[in-house]
Amino acid sequence: MNDTLVGTVPISATAARHPPGDLAIWVFILAELLAFGVFFAVYAIVRMGHVELFDAMQPNLDRNAGAINTVLLLAASWGVARAVAAIERGRQAISGRWLGFAILCGFGFLVVKAFEYAAKFRAGINLATNDFYMFYLSLTFFHFMHVILGLAILIGVWAKTRAGGYSAADHHGMETGAAYWHMVDLVWIILFPLVYVMR
Amino acid sequence: MQYKSQAVAKPYFVAALALFVAQILFGLVMGLQYVVGDFLFPAIPFNVARMVHTNALIVWLLMGFMGAAYYLVPEESETELHSPKLAIALFWIFLVAAGLTVVGYLTVPYATLAKMTGNDLLPTMGREFLEQPLLTKVGIVVVALAFLFNISMTILKGRKTAINTVLLIGLWGLAIMFLFSFYNPDNVVKDKFYWWWVVHLWVEGVWELILGSILAFVLIKITGVDREVIEKWLYVIITLTLVTGIIGTGHHYYWIGTPEYWQIWGSIFSALEPIPFFAMTLFAFNMVNRRRREHPNKAATLWALGTGVMSFLGAGVWGFLHTLAPVNFYTHGTQITAAHGHMAFYGAYVMVVLTIISYAMPLMRGRAANSNKAQVVEMWGFWLMTVSIVFITLFLTGAGILQVWLQRISDNPMPFMVAQEQANLFYWMREWTGVAFLVGLVVYLASFFIKGEEKATA
Amino acid sequence: MSGSFTTTTARNIFYGGTLFFLLVFLALTFQNEEIIPKRDRREMLAANPQIAEGKKLWETNNCIGCHTLLGEGAYFAPELGNVVVRLGSKEAVKAFIQGRPAEGIPGRRSMPQFNFSDKDLDAIADFLEYVSKIDASKWPPNIQG
Repeated sequence: MNDTLVGTVPISATAARHPPGDLAIWVFILAELLAFGVFFAVYAIVRMGHVELFDAMQPNLDRNAGAINTVLLLAASWGVARAVAAIERGRQAISGRWLGFAILCGFGFLVVKAFEYAAKFRAGINLATNDFYMFYLSLTFFHFMHVILGLAILIGVWAKTRAGGYSAADHHGMETGAAYWHMVDLVWIILFPLVYVMR
Repeated sequence: MQYKSQAVAKPYFVAALALFVAQILFGLVMGLQYVVGDFLFPAIPFNVARMVHTNALIVWLLMGFMGAAYYLVPEESETELHSPKLAIALFWIFLVAAGLTVVGYLTVPYATLAKMTGNDLLPTMGREFLEQPLLTKVGIVVVALAFLFNISMTILKGRKTAINTVLLIGLWGLAIMFLFSFYNPDNVVKDKFYWWWVVHLWVEGVWELILGSILAFVLIKITGVDREVIEKWLYVIITLTLVTGIIGTGHHYYWIGTPEYWQIWGSIFSALEPIPFFAMTLFAFNMVNRRRREHPNKAATLWALGTGVMSFLGAGVWGFLHTLAPVNFYTHGTQITAAHGHMAFYGAYVMVVLTIISYAMPLMRGRAANSNKAQVVEMWGFWLMTVSIVFITLFLTGAGILQVWLQRISDNPMPFMVAQEQANLFYWMREWTGVAFLVGLVVYLASFFIKGEEKATA
Repeated sequence: MSGSFTTTTARNIFYGGTLFFLLVFLALTFQNEEIIPKRDRREMLAANPQIAEGKKLWETNNCIGCHTLLGEGAYFAPELGNVVVRLGSKEAVKAFIQGRPAEGIPGRRSMPQFNFSDKDLDAIADFLEYVSKIDASKWPPNIQG
């Protein structure tokens, strides 16, 4: 990575051959995964100290909502992957439609999550309720925000696709956005079993 | 020097160094008071010496930042400064206000100063680092806004680069976060909560943007590495800084009445705070290794590399040592915090200001670099001060570990003052190392008076 | 992973990432404001206006320049967040403040004699008592602060 950063090749020339790149997003993705990773590790450590509390509280979570959301995020990731595959073949319209599908699934996730949160808030649960809910709310909220950010990126990419901004030769911007979205999905796939299911 | 108006930076740098001397002298007074408790009592009690020590530091760093901005913004924007006259006027206003404030601290009791300066109108005084009278605080805001106006106008009419944009965001952030110093609720928990919005979001937030852009500017100049490359690094570093540092504020919210979720959020994000500092170290060394020219100013290169290493050690490593909530439970409010504070401030902010001074001063005095002899003396100053601060930090860490053990962990916890006496040896060693630091500072300053120049070779 | 990496992407990530984490921080702050009424003993402040007066005296005499309060401040003199508990009563705290010799104690760290009125002393003691009741998550680790 350092070689790329500080190489003596004039960057403008490289940039001309590889348009909007994605190394920067990978640095960011690694940082994000590290933050989530540490968060998960702390969850596991605190849980070890309070197994009974965590086991008693876990059934209160809405596992159906969690499962639906897992499906929605996976579907969105699939859509994003299809969109990239389509643009690689130069099919802009199809690519745009797949992105639209992914965005709809992403919004579906937010709606389901909003209902889930509403139920919890009505029950008077907040970050100070107990350690379990602290982690549940912190982790899911932090991830929730990432879904929103991921959607903002996807919408940007979608708009650019519709405007014909990507082509078979030049779609690094879309790949950058796609990489970020897959990270958001990946985190949920770890988060859901860890917090909702595993006992 | 490519633009005439860059010269306004000079008085700022000179005043910054003068205040640096004052800061160190009062630091030595405090260090002695740690072991000879009644030294200068009641003329200059510890709290007064501390106010001068910390406030002088803040003011001279701000002076340094402003000088840096006046120097680098015209060059980056490729245009003369919007108003050099305003810059000079602000310099005198700021210097006189700072001087009067210090005179106030030293000559009248603090409570009298508060009464004289209208603290009753809006009580803001008497909080750590924000001890300045209301008038001074308002003065800081006015000077900062006029300064920002001057800098913003210059950038607006000229070229916009990553370096001057990031600098501008940092400077605006600095001014905006300072506004929280006017919010002082009776509720101690809220008072402390928002107090950190000034203190933490300055030093672990917006100041790092300023630091990053100054360092990037100097590295471009002395290494000749492509601007593209350096600016990318700059963005990556400051992104990591703010991503970790903003929520990292939570590491101050463990034991001040704030909810316990901060222990988790604060621990996680502040555990990641060393990463941007590590990236900064890599950045500095990488750029210097890949340099495309041999700049005659070796001293400036040394300061730039020193900033990378020492900020990582002081802010990154020493910060991480006590940032996790279970550790901090025992170390909170002890000499460990003081140890971290000393090395972090020196390694990050003192050194970056000395970096830009080292680079810009010779140019403002009409030469590419100082004579070899002057540079050697300057480097002696560098090593004396840097090694001294490392040992000051180590001795304070020793004192802190002893304090934590005796007063917080042992079966029969000792009262504070009894535990302090046990650490006397550490405090004496710290004081003597402080004297060594002063010697280093004098050597450093002496290098400015050695004549001659080194011609540019590249 | 492609090798390209543009300043524009890096800049966008900077703006987006900063805004994002700022929003998360503000959300946490919002939650903070919801929860602290149960911890910060604001009912004591409402019931006794002397506490605010005491806080002002605490500030205008720069107590934080030597002492810590809930661990924040200077590390030259003892923690005062729990001083009322440590010395046993508000009376003891007042007596200590009042008893400081004006010329200090030879060779030792000395606290100035502030010549407070009885009313001032009451206010300061009330303030320190209020701070000692704040729920600081069981900090300090023991009575010595």
